[in-house]
Amino acid sequence: MSVVENTQAAQIPENWEPKIIAFCCHWCTYTGADLAGLNRMNYPANVRVLRIPCSGRMNPQYVIEALNKGCDGVLVCGCHPGDCHYVTGNYYARRRMMIFKRLLEYEGLEPDRFQVRWISGAEAGKFRDTVMSVVEQVRALGPLNLTREIPQFELPPVPDDDGAFDAVPEEVTA
Amino acid sequence: MTAQDAIRQRAKELLESGEVATFIGWEAGRFHNQTTPLVITDAADADKLVFNEYCVNTLAKYARDVVARGKVGLVVRGCDSRAIVRMIIDQVIKREDVYLIGVACPGMKDRKTDELLKKCAECRHGNPVECDELIGEAGEWPIPEGRFAEVAEIEAMAQPERSRYFESVYAKCIRCYACRDVCPCCTCRECFVDQRRENWVGKQNNVAENRFYGLTRVMHIGDRCIECGECERVCPMDLPLMKLNRKVIQDLNNLFGEFESSLSIDDSVEPLIAYDLNDREEFM
Repeated sequence: MSVVENTQAAQIPENWEPKIIAFCCHWCTYTGADLAGLNRMNYPANVRVLRIPCSGRMNPQYVIEALNKGCDGVLVCGCHPGDCHYVTGNYYARRRMMIFKRLLEYEGLEPDRFQVRWISGAEAGKFRDTVMSVVEQVRALGPLNLTREIPQFELPPVPDDDGAFDAVPEEVTA
Repeated sequence: MTAQDAIRQRAKELLESGEVATFIGWEAGRFHNQTTPLVITDAADADKLVFNEYCVNTLAKYARDVVARGKVGLVVRGCDSRAIVRMIIDQVIKREDVYLIGVACPGMKDRKTDELLKKCAECRHGNPVECDELIGEAGEWPIPEGRFAEVAEIEAMAQPERSRYFESVYAKCIRCYACRDVCPCCTCRECFVDQRRENWVGKQNNVAENRFYGLTRVMHIGDRCIECGECERVCPMDLPLMKLNRKVIQDLNNLFGEFESSLSIDDSVEPLIAYDLNDREEFM
């Protein structure tokens, strides 16, 4: 993931609002978000909640696509391990997301931009706090200036060909 | 009798007796230091087979393409045999569909530099892990050090440099999918990049789509990668693909215990298709 130095607050444009997508498990976090709404809790409108059947349904490709298409941060939420509606879905998700998060950070994404949290259906307060903290963390980081087009820097030379397929060999081996 | 003569003789016998329908090996290329994979169905062609230190291609994936014609015989070194084991575990081919002639790998040379290939210098298993018969004897194959040295190099870089480094990687990628075509783990009947209607990955060649492809490829192979290094060898743009594959393998090793994929057919539980109640909890 490529990010032009945007960790300095000076480079954050005025009136910029982070755009965050939250993938929420239908059985826990989505219900928790619903409860937060019922309780009239306030949390930032920067987060767009998308419902997935289970955190085990979370495809790493969704995260890459979200970041490629202009989100500044991604939040994945599911049931606490042990509480999965499908019994084991979030155990698989936990392993997958641990690996995927490390891979994204290896490629240079700031750790705060991709977060995973377990939030149960009763934890409306935790949902609100999580969303607020993620929004604040991403706001501090600034916009995600991912490179999307081929940049105009000079490409390294094409690997050298020894001309084996151009030259007519003097002696063709049997 | 050299290994090459033994391979020719066994190929001839197998094809003549009808035990195998096709036989896969290498044939001489235009130059003395070049070989190409060869699929033969006629015992008379067995004398075309060669085995020398320039047999750089891993043969296993060709078995998938010709297995419909009947039982396949093929020459396997460490990497070929692990690739075959991988494909058997993934139910691409059956064990009884292949007849494996094992041969100890001498370590293959790069045609251009005449030095040991990068993938062979990093290889941990030169001798076949699975075969029906072994030509000659299993050789000494010391396990090289520094399996994750490349990964540590990148990890030592600061975050903006890592970003720039991988940006330049994805800027160079031409998405020819050679890495996918050669990979023994990439055996889906229809790859996600070919699903045009679903449009997982767009048609433009730009950094965003290349990154989408690159990251998805790594996540799909992830725990199954046999570290044969073929993806890196075939890449026409010389991209450091094993740095990505090994990063995932390193994390799997650190988080879920030491493992190496595809060392035997029974060894079929990879870390990402399993779970443990006591896995580390980072997402509370």
